[in-house]
Amino acid sequence: MSSQTTSSSWKSLVALPENIWRSIFRNPLPSSDLGRASTSFTNFFLHLHPVKVHRHSLKATFTLGLGLISFFLFFILVVTGILLMFYYVPSTTQAYDRMLDLRGTVAFGIFLRNMHRWAAHGMVAAVFLHMCRVFLTGSYKPPREFNWVLGVFLLLVTLFMSFTGYLLPWDQLAFWAITVGTSIASYAPLVGKQVKFILLGDTTVGQEALLRFYVLHVAVLPAVLSLLVAIHFWRIRKDGGLSRPEEEDSLPAETPATVEVLQGPAVVMATSPAAAAAAAPLIPKRHYGIQGLVRGPFTKVGNVPDRSVFSWPNLFMAELVVFLITVAGVLIVSLFFNAPLEQPVNVMHPPNPAKAPWYFLGLQEQVSYSAFWGGVGIPTIEVLLLLLVPYIDRKIVGVGRWFARERLLANFLFLTFVIVNVLLIVIGTFFRGPNWEFVSPW
Amino acid sequence: MKAPVKPAIEESGDALTRRRMLSWFSGFGLFGSLIITAFSNLIFIKPRATYGQPNRFSIGKPEEFPSGARVSLDERRVCIVREGDKIAAISTTCTHLGCIVSVSETGFACPCHGSRYDQDGNVTGGPAPRALPWYQVRLAPNGEIEVDKDAEIEAGSYLRV
Repeated sequence: MSSQTTSSSWKSLVALPENIWRSIFRNPLPSSDLGRASTSFTNFFLHLHPVKVHRHSLKATFTLGLGLISFFLFFILVVTGILLMFYYVPSTTQAYDRMLDLRGTVAFGIFLRNMHRWAAHGMVAAVFLHMCRVFLTGSYKPPREFNWVLGVFLLLVTLFMSFTGYLLPWDQLAFWAITVGTSIASYAPLVGKQVKFILLGDTTVGQEALLRFYVLHVAVLPAVLSLLVAIHFWRIRKDGGLSRPEEEDSLPAETPATVEVLQGPAVVMATSPAAAAAAAPLIPKRHYGIQGLVRGPFTKVGNVPDRSVFSWPNLFMAELVVFLITVAGVLIVSLFFNAPLEQPVNVMHPPNPAKAPWYFLGLQEQVSYSAFWGGVGIPTIEVLLLLLVPYIDRKIVGVGRWFARERLLANFLFLTFVIVNVLLIVIGTFFRGPNWEFVSPW
Repeated sequence: MKAPVKPAIEESGDALTRRRMLSWFSGFGLFGSLIITAFSNLIFIKPRATYGQPNRFSIGKPEEFPSGARVSLDERRVCIVREGDKIAAISTTCTHLGCIVSVSETGFACPCHGSRYDQDGNVTGGPAPRALPWYQVRLAPNGEIEVDKDAEIEAGSYLRV
């Protein structure tokens, strides 16, 4: 064996940790713009993001981070939900005992259940507020119509997720909320009774319903939701990033564009000799272009002065901060408030009043006035209107600004819809006592 | 590169070429299979047998219900009414949102949202949208009364025993 082979083997061995590391992470922590760009698109998780993002999209006061919060809450729900599945049994004789076990014997059981419950409520709220943000900033206008439609479906799936999860503890609250909720569904003309029967697997809420809701809750709906979320995210980029006012693009750039994408064989992306040296390994075989945004008026990457910044670190740090705030919020709430658990199911003794989950109390309040119109007619019209909004209101004015003057009428109508629904929920939650009679909470 | 010359028949557009016809057939087949699959799944998840309370059940001999009795069988969600030699079964599932109504002085009352019904199950107050349904009652060969919750009958139709 020659000494040369030995020394080369030795060198490989010494370089082993670094080689393994670099085989996983292609780029060192970026110090140049080229590095920042390639880090973004060579990492599986980061390549979902554009290499550069417009400053306007990073404004916390514009997005309020609501879409991210919704997604991170979903992430927390998946993690805590999978953990809870290790101890849960979807059986009418065991489910409630398992809840008591979570509270009494399972390590962190009560805490995980709290996190799951509060994150679920939070997600319903966050998704709804996200929809409000998108509407009030006119962000559903072309070319983003279809992403709004996906968003409406995401809201519906989120509600259904939360609703199916409500039954699983098999306590009085769960049983009667689902009895009331599925009865609302049965008011639908023609198919209502059938829908209720298929949903419950029986004529009343029982073992079949528990099993069905469990399967929907842990398998079917998360899969549907994940798919819709993936398309929703993908469309954000294909539709040209987050919405922003048109004048944002004509503002002079604060810093000159640092990335040049040239047509032809030569690729010049580095701005300094040092960066060029660092970029050397990337250049020889392939041409890396910054993937510009797709649609006409939004394509601004290139030699045009722009107000975009690199996603690394600007966007990623912002996302990390939102993630940490979301996790911290859920942890703190879960520390101080326990998820409710009432008496085990007693089919003979409905509580008075029997209430649906809070986000359906507006619906239940409506149902108390008119069964069909409150429970089916009006909600159907509302969902249809929400789906059609971007196809009715197509004029591209006031996009990317909160409460744009040009959109006074649209915003007024939407806010009316929001306020009426919130009011109905508040009345149903706090102002309805025994026999659904008006009571004062004070 | 020179574009391949298209045959004249395709250029005419409306003509039904073999290719177009085959595309239509395959498209129809694929789409049809999709619909059949979706429909089969729907049939699959709609249970043929339920494992909970049976909808047709025996409630005992007529003698167990003296005249004037209004016995609410909560587990069966049905109230057995007897007047003289007439017997009937009225649902105790509230038509509003599915709670169990209890027998009251004037008929039935729902504890959940305050719906009230008269002796025959007609709505007298509260949010209930419809009267309580009446179920078919018949005398089984063994002399017991059988209630069939799958068969709703007209209110006021009794079984004579």
